Order: sequence, then C-alpha cells, then structure tokens
Amino acid sequence: MSDATLLVLASTLSTGLILGAIFALVAAGVTIVYGCVWLPNASNGQFFLLAALAAWSLVGVGWSSAAAIIGVLVLGIALSLLIEWVLVRRLYDVPDRNVAYFVVTLGLTQIMSGIFAMSWGLWSDQFTLPPLVDGITMIGPFPMTNNRITVLAIALVVLAVLFGALRYHPYGRALRAVFQNREAAALRGVNVRAIYRLSFLLGSSIIFLGGMLFALAYSFDLTVAWTMSVTAFAIMIVGGPGSVLGALVVGMVFGFTQAVVSIFASPTAATFSYLIAMLAMLLFRPSGLFTR
Amino acid sequence: MNGRRLAFALALAALAAPFVLEGNRFLAFVFGIVMINLLWASGMNLLYGFVGLMPLMFAGIAGIAAYAMVALTREAGWSFWLATPVAAVGAALVGVLLGLPSLRLKGFYFTLCSLVIQTVLTLAFTFFPRFTNGDTGLNQIAPPDGWGGVPLAGVWFDATLALVATLGVLLSAWIVQTRLGQRFIAIREDDVLAEVMGIDVVRNRIIAFAIVSIYAAVGGCFYASYVGFVSPRSFDVLTSLGIWLCVAFGGRGTIIGPIIGTVILAPIPYLLQELQAFKDVLSGVLIIVVTLVMPAGIYGEIMRRRALRTAVALRAQAAGDPAGATATPAVAAMPGTVDAGVAR
Amino acid sequence: MSLLEVKGISKHFGGVAALRNVDVQMTSGETLGMIGPNGSGKTTFVNIVTGHLVPDSGQLLFNEGSIAGTAPHRLAALGLTRTYQAVRVFGGLSVGKNIEAAMLLGLPGAPESAERNELVHWLRLDHRLASLAGSLTLFEQRRLELLMRLLQRPQLIMLDEPVGGLAVTEVREMIALLHELKARCSIFVIEHTMRVIRELADRVVVLMAGEKIADGPPADILRDRRVVEQYLGTTHA
Repeated sequence: MSDATLLVLASTLSTGLILGAIFALVAAGVTIVYGCVWLPNASNGQFFLLAALAAWSLVGVGWSSAAAIIGVLVLGIALSLLIEWVLVRRLYDVPDRNVAYFVVTLGLTQIMSGIFAMSWGLWSDQFTLPPLVDGITMIGPFPMTNNRITVLAIALVVLAVLFGALRYHPYGRALRAVFQNREAAALRGVNVRAIYRLSFLLGSSIIFLGGMLFALAYSFDLTVAWTMSVTAFAIMIVGGPGSVLGALVVGMVFGFTQAVVSIFASPTAATFSYLIAMLAMLLFRPSGLFTR
Repeated sequence: MNGRRLAFALALAALAAPFVLEGNRFLAFVFGIVMINLLWASGMNLLYGFVGLMPLMFAGIAGIAAYAMVALTREAGWSFWLATPVAAVGAALVGVLLGLPSLRLKGFYFTLCSLVIQTVLTLAFTFFPRFTNGDTGLNQIAPPDGWGGVPLAGVWFDATLALVATLGVLLSAWIVQTRLGQRFIAIREDDVLAEVMGIDVVRNRIIAFAIVSIYAAVGGCFYASYVGFVSPRSFDVLTSLGIWLCVAFGGRGTIIGPIIGTVILAPIPYLLQELQAFKDVLSGVLIIVVTLVMPAGIYGEIMRRRALRTAVALRAQAAGDPAGATATPAVAAMPGTVDAGVAR
Repeated sequence: MSLLEVKGISKHFGGVAALRNVDVQMTSGETLGMIGPNGSGKTTFVNIVTGHLVPDSGQLLFNEGSIAGTAPHRLAALGLTRTYQAVRVFGGLSVGKNIEAAMLLGLPGAPESAERNELVHWLRLDHRLASLAGSLTLFEQRRLELLMRLLQRPQLIMLDEPVGGLAVTEVREMIALLHELKARCSIFVIEHTMRVIRELADRVVVLMAGEKIADGPPADILRDRRVVEQYLGTTHA
C-alpha cells in the first residue's frame, strides 16, 4: 500500500469514527424521546442545525468555541422547555399520539427551515467554526487535528455517560421503566409526566450537542438539517425504536458507511442507502434489530 | 336535498369563475392552480379522511405521472389526452406496488414509510435525470391540444381544470356513500373491528390507494402542462404536506372541508411569491395548529358548534315541555360530526 | 354434528407457553363455557380460533372444514365471529351507521329490514339509532356489539366476558338476553362470573396455565375440587 492510500484509509477511519459518534449521539437523543414519550421528532435535524448556527453566531460576536458550546446548551435547554410547555405536553395523554407528534414536528421542521432561510441563510451559505483546540497530533504515521480528537473524545464520553446513566442512575432506571411499561411504572410511583419532560429535555440536549460537535469538526450548510433528520430516523428504525444500544451500533455503522461511500460517490448515495435500509426494516421487521 | 343544491352551486361557481377572471391572467392562473390542488385534495381526503392513512408520498406519485406524461408526449409523440390516462394508470400501479407492503402498517409507521418513499422518489427524480433533467427541471412543456388541433390555453384551459376538479370532487362524494366508501369509514374508525365485521382491510386499503394514486397522477399531468415547468421540487414532501394541510385544515372526512381548505390555502404560495421562506413558516404554524387545536378542521369545527347549539336548543325545549322530556339525546349524528372522525 | 373442532392447539409467546396441546369440541346448538384464572390462555384461545393469531401447531375445523390461517374477515363470512373483552364498536359513528357497517358483509339472505327492526327492538336500541355509539352506556354498547354480530347471521359467536364491567341488574338482563340468543346461534363464552356459566353453559372447559384440566357439565365441574381450589381459590384469594 502506498502512503497516499494509507492516508486516505486513515482519514476515512477518523471521519467514520467522528461521524459515527455524532450520528449515534443524535440518534440516541431521538430514540430516547421516541421510546419514552412516543414522540418521533422529525425536526431533530433542525434542532441539530439550530445548535450549530447558534454556536456560529456566538463565535461571531466574539465568544470562544468552548464558551459557545456552553451558551448554546443553556439556550437549547431553555428552548426545549418552551417547546415542551407549548407543544409536547398537550399530547401526553392522547393514545395514538405518535402520528400527531410526527405531524407536529414536521410542521416545526417547516417553521425552523423557513426561519433559517430568512436569517442565517441570507448571511452565508457555508458556515465554519474555529477549532476548539489547535495543533496536530501524529497517531502512528497519521496526522489528526487535535480539534477532531477532542470532538471525538467529547462525543464518546457523552455516549458512555449516557449509556451508564440510563443503566445505573435512578432517573435512568425510571426512564427505562417508563420505556417498558407506562402503567406499571406509574403504579410503582414513578411520576410519568416528569419522566416525559426529562427525557424530552435530555434527548433534545443531546441533539443540540451533536449539532455543535458536527459544526466544530466540519463546515456545514443549511441542507445538513434534512440529511440529519433522515439519518437519525433511519438509525432509530434500523436499531430498534427506543434502543440506545441500537442507536450506538447502527450510528457507528452508518458513520463509517458515509465515510466510505463519500470516497467513491456523492454523500447522497449514502443517504439513499439509509433510506433503503429503513424502508426494508419498516416493511420486514418494524421493531428493529436491537429490541427483544 | 340541501347538500345537492350546494354542490350544484359550487360546481357552477367553479365552471363560471374562469370566464369571470378572464381579464386578469394572474388571478386566472391562481384559480387554475387552486383547481389542480382541489383535485389533489379530494384524492388525499379519500385516503386520509375516509380510510385514515396519511400518504406523504402523494406528490411523488403525481411526479411519476407528470414525468411519464412529458416523456410520452415529447419522445413518443402521443397526445396529452392519451398520455395522461396511460401515465395515470402506470403511476397508480407503481404507487400501489410501492405502497403495497406498507399498507399492512398503520398510524405512525405507515406515515413514516410513506415519507421515506417520498424522499426516495425525490432523490430518484434528482439523480436519474434521463426523464426528469434532474434539478434543472423540464420546461416548455406543451399544453394539451384542444378542439381542432389548437393548443388548449387561457380561459379554456382554466375551464377544463375547473371541470376536472369538479368531476374529481363529485366522484369522491359518490365513492364515500357507496358500500366501498362505507367500508373505508369502518376501517378508519377501527380496523380490527372492521376486519371482524367481515371487511378485508388490506384489500380495501389497496383499492383506496389505487384510486387515490390516480387522483395524484391526473393532477400531476395537468399541473405539468398547465405550469409548463416541473422539477423535483414540484413534487417533494412539502407538496404532499401542503395538500394534506388543505384537507386537514378544511376538515377531513367531509366533502366540503377540503374545498374550503384548498380555496383558502392553495393560493397562498402564489400570493406570497416574494416570501417563500415566510410561506414555509406559515404552513408549519398551520400544521401545528390543525394537529393540536383543531383536528376536525374548519368545517368540523363549524359542525361541532352547530351540533352544540342544537343540543342546547333541544335541552331547553325539553325543559320547557315536560311531555317532550324523553326527546332524543342531544349529541345526535350530525352528518359533519360523524364524518369528521375521532380526534387523534 | 361437530361445529367447532380444535385439536392439539399450542401457542408460545417468546419462551412462555400460552396454550399447550388444547382440544375443544363443540356441537351445533351447544353453549360452551370457558373458565380459568387470568393469564390461563382463554383470550389467546379465542384469538387463535377467530384468526387473530396463528397457532404454533394443531388443527382448527369449523363445520368440518379447516380454518387454520383464515383471515378474520373470511371467518365472518363463514359464520364465525367474536366480541371483545373491552367492548368494541365504531365509537365515532352513530348506532345506525354501526348497523349499516355490519350489513356491509353483504351475504345472501342477510336480514331484511323487518327482521333488522325486530333485532334492534329486542336489544332495546330503537331509541338510540341516531346517537354516537361512543356515547352509549357500556351495557348499550355490549348490546350493540351483539346486534352487529347477529346481523351477520353467525353460526357461532365467541363472547369474551360479555358481562365484564356491568352492574348487577345489568348482568341479570344480559344473562336473559344471552338465553334468548341461544335460539339464534351457538355460543362460546369466556366468563369470570360463575353465574353466567352456571345458568348458560351446557358444558364447561377449564383452562389452567395454558392446559385444559377439565371438560364437562357445569354442575360437575363446579363441584370438582381441583377447579374450585385452583380457580375459585385464586380469583377470590
């Protein structure tokens, strides 16, 4: 193998890892909310983009990237609380609420994409954030920017914490109890509505974080929102709605797929393959790969 | 019957409008667009309002037919009037083939599946440009030929669209009161119970889907030849959502509701031409409002209020007249409230 | 003549056996009761016979023809129908429209309007025709459920807890109605209320953890110590 080939291989690997971790993160956010609240958030890609754009604006007014991350997370939580209060909680007690939620978030998608087009879209069509940290580290013979290493590390740490918290923290256990059986959880004294709100906040925050990490690692434009929505849904459906493990594994697989496909063909081909995978899954095994 | 007189008046108004609007080409054009959307909405209403499925691949099927019609007229030299039925039947077959596996799903999974199919179709329109010319789109699509080989244009094209839309609405009104339509309603209300009551749910869903695909396809062909330009964006998920919104906003599961919704909503993109992004925000807000606040739509809301008034009046009457105290219970089957279906 | 013959039906959900090798026979005109504690597989049994579930193994014969794998809507046409534990009517439609929906089956020899009116009258729903089915009382909804089945001329109705949730006086009325129903078709009934079984059933099958443990006349079965201990013991514990 020539050096050039090795370099391509290495960059594919690192891209796959970073994209995979971000995909897994966003899909975990979507799947937690779906599994618990039964809310399939079709506007997850817009949330993702909103975080990236907000971070870009904060940096634009002189904040550091690190401060922008914190700032956007705080704003994101406030916004999620607002959305929960205005929209989401109205449907908590409706039996077939997943269709209604889906439609509501499709409406939200249109609102947000309209707003983005009228605001950020007028300022620029390509957005880039300054790196979180400078410098380059050699991993063996391969160079990787410290910035991307940091992004990857943050994504993996958050995923690990999330996975651990769902397993071991009392809140996480309550959340999983609601996943499995709402009525039984309510009977055991779990405040179901509080858990709904918590999981919506948690899910949205993770999506916001995913958007910022993506913005730190890559430059982006407004079309990333729709692609992310489709990808996150595909990961959720293939991995099994409500399964965080499924989101992790399938997210990683899709990330690497994207990295590999992008070498040979347009990234749209990767999106196309997710769509087909999701379609096949919906038709033949709607419960997904990682649910019992 | 009152409904019949109303239908006659509306049909007459639709057919007369092109001649009234003849002086103003822009308004006449918007009217033509409204008529195409009305045809689409009455088709969407059959599936969403009466069978209870939300087909987000609706615009994609319209697109397949439109591209097929253009290919048949341009490359094979067919007449529009031959190409359209062929393209419509073809698109309906493709639609049923695509929809067939998903018709076993219901609720959210069906809707998601239809969204995925729509997205795949949009990508296909863009990346297989042999018949679609990709993102650039096809322009200068010829209008249908009229009497004596003169291309259909102006007021006569508008009148043709009005006629097609009127026929579409009347056909849907006829379908829903046949046994087939009653089966649709039973399936919408409770598909498990419908099955036990001897209704073949999957088969009836397929029939509905085929009918609705033909509505989508015919509308697509007329759209292409009326506007003269199509691109993948003409038939994307936003188009499907827009048609859905006309139905849901006006009042699904009623015949008059989608007419109200279309007349109010379909002109908006053309009246707000300079503000496309604002139009997106507006329709997003409407989608949310319809889902959360007004699931029965404008017409459903009107009927609900009327039923409430009747109930109050009946109760007052009963209270004033002890002999009539056994009067029929109030929330009787007003045609609108019944057909509006249950709130989701 | 044998109306329903169920031979060696088994059904597993995951690792749990819901039914194990169950045999049930019914002759035409007979009323068969089925009892058993919660989770003993009664509803699973009805779901399998009426085509809602596919058994892992075993044979299903209705009028001596196999009905294994037959969809519920075809069974309705064959004359095998059911009701649900949680009452199920088209709640968003008027009672009249519910009746029309039941008539959609369109069998030759479907009830003419005179007979329809007689059924409506018998089930005391005449004054409710214009009301939304969802606004009816539970008892009225259960009667509407029966009416909709009868309009389809079933040979066998499988009733899943027909008096569940009814008040004491209503239970009495329902039993009277079911008594009259016996003249119209064969009845298979799942019940927890022993009175229903005692007064209606010609024969009783007892299910226990997915297995048939007894089959005989109600008087004998209810005297059987095993049943009394296992069944009455558990439900009234």
